Amino acid sequence: MVNSTGELTVTGVNHSYGTGKIKVPVLYDINLHINKGEFVALCGSSGSGKSTLLNLLAGLTKPEEGSVMVSGAEISSYNENELCMFRRKNMGFIFQSYNLLPNLTALENVELPLIFAGESKKKRRAKATEILHRVGLEGRIDHRPNELSGGQQQRVSIARALVNQPGIILADEPTGNLDSKTEQEILLLMREMNKENGTTFIIVTHEQEVAEQSDRVIYLQDGRVVQKRTRPA
Amino acid sequence: MKLRTALTSVGVMIGTAAIVAMMALSLGLKESAVKSLENFGNLTEMDVEPLRWYEENGEWIDVPEDKVKKLNMQAVQELKKIPGIQAVMPIKELREQAKLKVGRREGYVQLIGVDVNESAAYRKNDIEKGNYLTGAPQEIVVAFDVSRELRDVEKEKREERRRKAGAGRHEMSQMPPPDIGGGEALAFNLVDRAGTLILSREYRIDDEPKYEKKELRVKVVGQLKKSEERNSSAAVYVPINVVKELNEWVTRSRGDEVEEGASRRSRDKAKKETFEFDRITVKVESREKVEGVVQALKEKGFEVWSPARELETINNFFFVIQMVLGGIAAISLLVATIGIVNTMIMSILERTKEIGIMKVIGATVLNIRWLFLMESGFIGLIGGLAGLGMAWGAVELVNYFGASGGLLDSLNMGYGGGGDPEAEPTKLAVIPSWLALFAIGFSFIIGVLAGIFPAIRASRLSALQAIRSE
Repeated sequence: MVNSTGELTVTGVNHSYGTGKIKVPVLYDINLHINKGEFVALCGSSGSGKSTLLNLLAGLTKPEEGSVMVSGAEISSYNENELCMFRRKNMGFIFQSYNLLPNLTALENVELPLIFAGESKKKRRAKATEILHRVGLEGRIDHRPNELSGGQQQRVSIARALVNQPGIILADEPTGNLDSKTEQEILLLMREMNKENGTTFIIVTHEQEVAEQSDRVIYLQDGRVVQKRTRPA
Repeated sequence: MKLRTALTSVGVMIGTAAIVAMMALSLGLKESAVKSLENFGNLTEMDVEPLRWYEENGEWIDVPEDKVKKLNMQAVQELKKIPGIQAVMPIKELREQAKLKVGRREGYVQLIGVDVNESAAYRKNDIEKGNYLTGAPQEIVVAFDVSRELRDVEKEKREERRRKAGAGRHEMSQMPPPDIGGGEALAFNLVDRAGTLILSREYRIDDEPKYEKKELRVKVVGQLKKSEERNSSAAVYVPINVVKELNEWVTRSRGDEVEEGASRRSRDKAKKETFEFDRITVKVESREKVEGVVQALKEKGFEVWSPARELETINNFFFVIQMVLGGIAAISLLVATIGIVNTMIMSILERTKEIGIMKVIGATVLNIRWLFLMESGFIGLIGGLAGLGMAWGAVELVNYFGASGGLLDSLNMGYGGGGDPEAEPTKLAVIPSWLALFAIGFSFIIGVLAGIFPAIRASRLSALQAIRSE
């Protein structure tokens, strides 16, 4: 069971970087709708604006124009604190460089979102242990990130993203630092979680394999959506 | 723990240790001064007298005679209402000396009437043998030296006769030394023995002096401990009513007794209203309340004759000392506080990415602030605990060397420094539990305060920029 609906709608978003007179436009008139439980890949060359779009969907950046609706909420109007609380309940994040806290064990890293959510120690320990078992790290829960391989660290990262049972997972190049075998394993794991929980996955990727395994691929070029491809059923 | 954090804690440790040690030293010196004061008498017991003059603008002003307080029952009631006073013990002394005779021994004693109900709870602790008065009129309690003051008169007379009879036959050198003082050094047990109090008065009939004796059968129920504080070494304590009656008997002329009759009841009533005690001793609940009680007594028109009067001066003097010493030591804690701020800002710079990750996965502004405040608070707390330990060690060393070097005796101002061997030894520096708790709490609060600015700075970081930083 997930906490929220997991739908995303982007309407008329324009965005640029820089301040004052020098502005670099990165996104032009983006209109998207992603359904609940979809496994979507955002592809494009470097500088095409896919990471910026992901940041807008996460509420880490506010669009200059247009609106971003996530699970029925207009997040572009939220202040920073509201966004933090919204992300805590509705979103999970997976990063290319894992972004685990180096001083914490795998279990403690997974527990972190639950600590911020105010869960009791007993409950969060049980939840974190269970999710680490599900991602195949039952023997590694007390290891620190530097004692884990890249694939294992990414599994911890996936577990951390899923522990709050969010409706949406946003992943930025999740397999970018992994070898092809581990990449396949991580992809399989994400697919499994997507199917089991009905969690929406939006993955920014350069990898063709990732795109091939997705329900839908959205291609961006120079800040515009140039192609939307749906995998044949 | 990082070396930088540990060193920051060391800064707090030194600051806390300095403050605690300085405060401990001034508290120890104050305690020593108060103990010296206690050698003059119990600070929680004080004799109250009416205020007859007071100082105003450097001039002494007499209190008008009609405004001078009277030590009567009304005064007792008034004193009982003062907060902090536990008991009010009025005292009335017999104007004449009485003779106490127990067995073959006898001697002159000073009869002191006390309010048994009020004084029982406190004087019970002063009893060495037997019990305290219960209120029965024939009971008496004797001071420690009374048994040494009583003389075996028969024996003295016998020896005197023998000395006179043998004066011609023996050389002086062969004679036993006379027992001057009637066995002063040899105390005998008076407790639980029956005795007689003998009073005499003089009266005149037709200008002829006449003498009359009054004998009162008594039982010695207890003996007080030896005390340097008590005024009279030959004091005998009896219920206050006994002294009242005996005073009346001593001062009344024989003619008065003849007139006794219908007017006696009204005279008794009038006496009850105008009856005045010689002294009133008040017992204060604790030493901390003495200053307030002395102040309240003065405001109500009483004068206090007790070393406790000096407590206020001592407290004021040592308060200034504490502030000066504590203030000097506080400078090192201020430096340590700046150290915490620096460490926390460095920590934010190092952990920017961590802060970004936490914000992305749902940490609110409050979560981030709380995290940094607690972290800096704990740097303070650890430093505070270590500082307290360091101060404790320093205090122990100071006390050890102070005691072995005789410094404490010289600081005891010469007032019975080497007094009671069973008493707790005076310390040059003391860390009371409140000071220890204050030091720990204060160092934690200093840490938290030092963390406010860094915490606000950390919470204001942009999650996106923070997560991108390396």
